[in-house]
Amino acid sequence: MNATRAEIARPDRQAGRSRSGPTPPDGQDAQSRRKGPRRRRNEALPLLLPALLPVALFSMFPLVQGIYLGFTDSRAGLDQVTHFTGLENYRDLLDNGLFWESFRIGLVWAFSVTILQFVASLGLALLLNQDLRLRWLARTLALVPWAMPPVVIAIMWRMMFNPNSGPINSWVRGLGFSGDFNLLGDFNTALPAVIVVGVWVGMPQTTITLLAGLQSMDSSMHEAAEVDGAGALRRLVHVTLPSLRPIIAAITSLDFIWNFNQFALVYVLTRGGPGGETMLPMLFSYNEAFRYGHYGMAAAMGNVMVLIIVAMLFFYLRNRLRENA
Amino acid sequence: MNVKHLAGVALVACLVASCATSTNESDETSDSGDSEGPVTLRFNSLAFQEPTIEASKAIVDAWNAEHPDIQVEYVQGSWDSVHDQLVTQLQTGKAPDIIHDESADISGFARQGYLADLSPYLSDEVKDAVPEGVWDAVTVDDKVIAAPTLLQSYMVFANTDLLQQAGVDIPAGETWAWDDFQAAAAKATTDDTYGVAWGLAEPTATVTSLGMNFGATFFDGEGDDADITVGDPELALPARIHEMTYDDQSIDPTSLTLSGSDALPGFLHGKYAMTVQGSYVAQQLVQDAPEDFHWAVLPPLSAESAAQAANPQTLSVPAESPHVEEAAEFIDYFMAAQNLAKVAEGDWLIPASSEASDAVAADTGGDNGWNEILNSGEYLTKAPFQSVTNYPQWDDQIATPALQKYFADEISLDELQAELTDGWADVSGG
Amino acid sequence: MSVRAHPTRTRSLQYVALAGYLIFLGFPLLWMLSTAFKSSQELADITPRLIPSDPILDNFGDAIDRADLVHAGANSLQVALATTVLVIAMTLPAAYGLARYKTWLRPVTLSWILIGQVFPVILVAIPLFLILDQFSLTDSLVGLTIVHAVYALPFGLWMLQGYITAIPRDVEEAGAVDGAGRLRILVSIILPLLRPGVVATALFTFIASWNEFFFALVLIQDPDKYTLPRTLVRFVGASDQVQLGPLAAGALLATLPSLVFFLLIQRRLTAGLLSGAVKG
Repeated sequence: MNATRAEIARPDRQAGRSRSGPTPPDGQDAQSRRKGPRRRRNEALPLLLPALLPVALFSMFPLVQGIYLGFTDSRAGLDQVTHFTGLENYRDLLDNGLFWESFRIGLVWAFSVTILQFVASLGLALLLNQDLRLRWLARTLALVPWAMPPVVIAIMWRMMFNPNSGPINSWVRGLGFSGDFNLLGDFNTALPAVIVVGVWVGMPQTTITLLAGLQSMDSSMHEAAEVDGAGALRRLVHVTLPSLRPIIAAITSLDFIWNFNQFALVYVLTRGGPGGETMLPMLFSYNEAFRYGHYGMAAAMGNVMVLIIVAMLFFYLRNRLRENA
Repeated sequence: MNVKHLAGVALVACLVASCATSTNESDETSDSGDSEGPVTLRFNSLAFQEPTIEASKAIVDAWNAEHPDIQVEYVQGSWDSVHDQLVTQLQTGKAPDIIHDESADISGFARQGYLADLSPYLSDEVKDAVPEGVWDAVTVDDKVIAAPTLLQSYMVFANTDLLQQAGVDIPAGETWAWDDFQAAAAKATTDDTYGVAWGLAEPTATVTSLGMNFGATFFDGEGDDADITVGDPELALPARIHEMTYDDQSIDPTSLTLSGSDALPGFLHGKYAMTVQGSYVAQQLVQDAPEDFHWAVLPPLSAESAAQAANPQTLSVPAESPHVEEAAEFIDYFMAAQNLAKVAEGDWLIPASSEASDAVAADTGGDNGWNEILNSGEYLTKAPFQSVTNYPQWDDQIATPALQKYFADEISLDELQAELTDGWADVSGG
Repeated sequence: MSVRAHPTRTRSLQYVALAGYLIFLGFPLLWMLSTAFKSSQELADITPRLIPSDPILDNFGDAIDRADLVHAGANSLQVALATTVLVIAMTLPAAYGLARYKTWLRPVTLSWILIGQVFPVILVAIPLFLILDQFSLTDSLVGLTIVHAVYALPFGLWMLQGYITAIPRDVEEAGAVDGAGRLRILVSIILPLLRPGVVATALFTFIASWNEFFFALVLIQDPDKYTLPRTLVRFVGASDQVQLGPLAAGALLATLPSLVFFLLIQRRLTAGLLSGAVKG
């Protein structure tokens, strides 16, 4: 993780310097080598304490307990005794077809939403970066999904998908499909429909992050490319995107995590149906813990999810940033 | 060092602040069994419709006036979140003294040992007014863990104009045979209207409950030791629905993927001649039907019998509450005929107590389907699945997906049988 | 941004694309607006109409009364503001520490941030509840604030740390050469440079707290203390019965403050504000 921080580009406005290429690695390492790290190490602690203490108590401690539960047979019930069971939960999980199915759906969902979100947000960010009129309206509306609690968003979209009173069915019929259909209830269209909502929900944070990246990029690079006669698309692919690489890596990783862990949205939209087609892993482990009272097993599921996702991210980030070095 | 001092001060400030606030908090928690002063009970009510909320609050106010030493505090909860709240509250001992829930949900908590036995505290009057079958639905391990308040049944609502146009006689007997229902649906299906809309997005509750019409039991045994049998009686209802949808083409297949309330607008606007819904839907019909819409509630459906599962709303007391007796007294008061009747009328549900039922009939004059709805109450009784521990998991993970696939015509009846039976082994074994 | 003017055809295409985005992003909100003015009878209609045929204002009154929206809004505001202040106060020194000092705490903190984000939060609900109970902080807005702050902290820390890293050390060194003490450097040199970063972090934190539902559901029992998202679910009944009119009205009213807030700050969404947002 140290390497990650060090290699991500920084804006150069404050320093008043202009560069013609991706910024070289962090000068911080060079500086601290001059200062001597050992002298500074202890000074960091009091700065970190006010944050660390409540976090240790209310976040790390419950988290560690939550992780530990994954190795027990903890269940709901008055006067239930919890026993340490080691890897038994995990052995059972290997056989749990429904869990892995849900995990698969989670991956499909997370990849689809993250990629679509990225493409859509990049488009919007590029547009917002232009000198178009009504930018104030566009920028405000770009943030609309953020203004609403996820529960409200889900109810609102469910209203829109309603086969009787919602507008979406009328539009789809306008496109030529006839007959009655329920997009959220049909086995083939439920996951895509929910993915659309997922993209909608995640656009604000991705858009403004990319927009910030675009705006802090050097315009000199663009001008140089234009003078060289490069068209808009080539400029995008060969100049813009490479400079944004670290930001893209960061926001897509975060989006992926947040999307994979989505819960409230699917819970309200489809409850994981029809037939488990939209059963995301978080919803699955929620049911395990809150509906059936199997805390130990649910925590084990959580542990497995963390391990696999962290491993995926590790490889993703390592490759992305190695290219940038 | 300056920075160190800053950090130190900030840290101390945080600790002091949290201490200061925590002492304030302890004054606000409801008091715990002081022998001096009035006892305050928290009643988490899930009343949803306006009139029900008013009726519930009126009951609380009346009680408080008559019992200065036992005060009840009305807290508005919501159906959507009650389960999650109870999970955390019961686990940590912070549940309200009077819990409002429904028996399908509360039984799970009862089996986990969280609820108090109310039988020593309920009056004979209340006990006698409620049928055995309904008491069974709230009894776990021989303990009465809740008082059943309101019930619903699945009923057929009909657009009387459309039925008459199709030449179908509006049934008027005690019950209505399934075969006649099937015939009527077929007759009422034309080019622009379907005979029936049936919102089966969550199919398991309907299939296990209404399936009792055909003698379906599904489960044998109680608690952790239950076996499943998916035989002809159990498959009869799903098969019949499938037949009506794909052979007779009298049930709209899209409606099968909708929830009950989502299927309603189509019914109100003449797309369907009939719809199968929970009985409480009558209220929405009264409220939202267009001016020229004529509807009726048809007699309860019957094959072998008209039995359906009783899943009453419940009032319970946590075992760890310091005021079980007082809370039970309030619950008893809530169940009194006039009180329960008012609440039932607000939510358009059937009171569990027959005296309250008579009061509702008197109050409403039996209009707007109340007669049929109240009469259907006599067929409600406990279903075997209600005392099976792993039923919710089987419902979520096995039955619901399998039934949804079957109703979408993606698997055959035999495959349905296999999935339901084999799935139980997975769920109960693990 | 390019200095040369774009040809008109590209311009029109851009406007079309922008319009497409605006419709996609704004239409659901518009639909909710439309729903808020419809009577329950009209909501049971099968022809979807954007403009209500018989608009009513009752839903708003209903929502405000029954859901006690104003009071819940005040609660949400209290919690969100307090959370934001707490998070900034805790992360400023911590981010500085992480950015400037090479300490073993750095990889530990950063790994924990990652794991904390990935591990299902719902599973820590019960251990968390028990700990809060020890301090008598359950069923209290203070307790909720602390939980919100603690869970918003990682992301805020990561953001601020990135901003601080973006400020070259030379700036601080220059200050030291001029003879200013460490504290003065921090306050008069670093802080002003950090303002955009602080504003961005405050924004993310405020919104996260304002919209938060799960902890508000599990930790708060007293309806007097309900936050906005928590109080809106009372319009969702059993078996999928939803009172759409009041729910839409309430949701709209709940969303308005955020929208106004966005409208006001959208001008500041420029490089100065957000550069370095996810850098480091």
